[in-house]
Amino acid sequence: MLAANMRSLLSRLLWVLVAALGAVGFAVLAIARGEHVSAAWMLIAGVASYVVGYRFYARFLALKVFALDNRRATPAERLSNGRDYVPTNRWVLYGHHFAAIAGAGPLVGPILAAQFGYLPGTLWLIAGVVLGGAVQDFTILVCSLRRDGKSLGQMAKEEVNSVAGMAAAVAILAIMIILLAVLALIVVNALKSSPWGLFTIACTIPIAMLMGWWMKSVRPGHVLEASVFGIVMLLAALVGGGWISRHPTLGPAFTWSGPALAWALILYGFAASVLPVWLLLSPRDYLSTFLKVGTVTILALAILVLLPPLRMPALTQFTDGTGPVFAGKVFPFAFITIACGAVSGFHALVASGTTPKMIMREGHAPMIGYGGMLMESFVGVMAMIAAATLQPGVYFAMNTPAGVLGTTVQSAAQVVSQWGFAVDPAQLTQLAHDVGEATLLSRVGGAPTLAVGMAQILHGVFGGNGMGLWYHFALMFEALFILTTVDAGTRVGRFMLQEIGQHLWKPFGRTSWYPSVVFSSGLIVAGWGYFLYQGVVDPLGGINSLWPLFGIANQLLAAVALCVGTTIIVKMGKARHAWVTLVPLAWLAVVTLTAGWQKVFAADPRLGFLSQARSLAGSTAPDAARRIFNANLDAGLCLFFMAIVVVVIFASAREWWLVLSKRKEATVHEAPFVETAYATGD
Amino acid sequence: MRRRQDAKWCAVGRGPHSLRQVLHTALRTVRQVIGAPDYARYLEHHAACHPGRAPLTEREFYVQFLGWRYAGTAGRCC
Repeated sequence: MLAANMRSLLSRLLWVLVAALGAVGFAVLAIARGEHVSAAWMLIAGVASYVVGYRFYARFLALKVFALDNRRATPAERLSNGRDYVPTNRWVLYGHHFAAIAGAGPLVGPILAAQFGYLPGTLWLIAGVVLGGAVQDFTILVCSLRRDGKSLGQMAKEEVNSVAGMAAAVAILAIMIILLAVLALIVVNALKSSPWGLFTIACTIPIAMLMGWWMKSVRPGHVLEASVFGIVMLLAALVGGGWISRHPTLGPAFTWSGPALAWALILYGFAASVLPVWLLLSPRDYLSTFLKVGTVTILALAILVLLPPLRMPALTQFTDGTGPVFAGKVFPFAFITIACGAVSGFHALVASGTTPKMIMREGHAPMIGYGGMLMESFVGVMAMIAAATLQPGVYFAMNTPAGVLGTTVQSAAQVVSQWGFAVDPAQLTQLAHDVGEATLLSRVGGAPTLAVGMAQILHGVFGGNGMGLWYHFALMFEALFILTTVDAGTRVGRFMLQEIGQHLWKPFGRTSWYPSVVFSSGLIVAGWGYFLYQGVVDPLGGINSLWPLFGIANQLLAAVALCVGTTIIVKMGKARHAWVTLVPLAWLAVVTLTAGWQKVFAADPRLGFLSQARSLAGSTAPDAARRIFNANLDAGLCLFFMAIVVVVIFASAREWWLVLSKRKEATVHEAPFVETAYATGD
Repeated sequence: MRRRQDAKWCAVGRGPHSLRQVLHTALRTVRQVIGAPDYARYLEHHAACHPGRAPLTEREFYVQFLGWRYAGTAGRCC
């Protein structure tokens, strides 16, 4: 009895210490002025918050809100079929789920948000995930788990109403297109005028095809050995890229412009989505999973070893909305720029995808759903560290569009220094030379910035004189798994389109009918390809207008997911706990609708799409008409997203009112309770 | 985690692990995390639940597995 009390007391004491440590971390981050804060404090604040959130809040959600029941057989157990419904060990499933949700999002968003200083982005990453993102992922995972793995769209239709279901389906498709365009744009911006990068990435195509042939015909299903071969060849291509870039003929041959790369990506995306899966998509997918996990692990280890100082200030003057990386004040745009890593609606799709079909026990859901998202937030924090360890002048020189900086290191250094971030033209030239690029100016899109940050950190740990190799290593890792998301995403988009289209014309929905496949793939690729091209030729750099659009769309999907979650919680009779999803829903609705409104109607042409169109109205520049059209299109898309989320919120609120006022029966469409056959105690 | 004998549905349990099996399990774990096809698990399931029917060959299983894996709208995140 005494021992148990002692244990309980010690446990409480431990948690108080953890919370205090986290608080100290936040205080140091917020209060430090002038001197450089060590990255260690950011890690401490983050990790302390995550563990406290997991131990207390996730447990509250599991026990009180959803009443997870370990005696209840999960669909993996009841419908076990050896292929998708397979009870899986929770650690394995954690890795699988994390690999599915992790991508470029947490790596790019924080880098862009660093223009406000490291503090706003970091606070949103940590508070947003504990109270919003992880809650969303967990909620949708549990809801799908209890419905035999139904998707978000299906749950929206069944638990809310068919209007919400249709709105969700259309929103998901639209978001997918913007997402693919933005990711492709990041790759184009990273690879343009970079023969080393382009050669390495181009090699991944034949390497993947070789792997695909091996895994299908020579040694069926032997993924690990094919992946080892793939990784070795990839590293060889990485080294070879350096040689190619210095070659007098081959170097220029691999130096492509933005528009040329955009076309190449468009053609590639189309081809990859219509070719058989075993040939290109699947081997790329396996390879990129290794690389994703590898990049994250290497970055984490390097940061933990080096604990570099943060050179970016906590807050910069650009919180007032005059920032060069993207327009908009810190509220609401810091919360839009960082989506994956804080709250991401797209995760709700993954959380209602393959993962719920593999959960062995309901009690594993907090670790997988909540915990998986915490890990992604941690990746975001590391990306923020990587950006903040750069000299601020270098950061701004790399992330400001050429339209503002000019094209020479002299003009760039002058512009950046005028903002108060001292940088020397020789420094910029030297850094570019060190990493093996012709220039680092205006390499917008986050990936090159992360690569430079990583290269500096890794070089700081491992030494050597191969900064170029580290830089291209980091760049290749990121570009590779981004590209895989593009081709896999095109294929997913094609399925979605066929699913929606079959309501209009039945044969369209036949997923193996070749004409339908080609046509719908073509439509999807044309969709994202259009926005990609628009972004590539945009003098403001494309990321400037597309990333906020993506962020708004993503957060709106999160709002939709939280609406579905709230509806289910209300219907379960737990309306007094509905605040767990209502609070993040309210916050997201306010933030994204404000941001959307500003993007459409703001008077500043840098910020508002319609103002941008108006300011170009009298222009005689040759591309003015196209730019006006694109600005109006972006405005229309933004309004469309806003309309969708308003529709879903109203449809859901109606359901809540009907159920709470007893006008409607609170029927929950869960799968029936069946007792598990597993012995308890795991 | 052991299964009771009166389980109403068809599935396969796992026996106790020997030290030798640990490495095998480790590799299998990596394969599961990255989502590689597990032919051995399919064969176990097939033998237990569909006895009398010939199982797919490894090559056929791989191609079908990819079809299942890439069907539908789950996908990966950004």
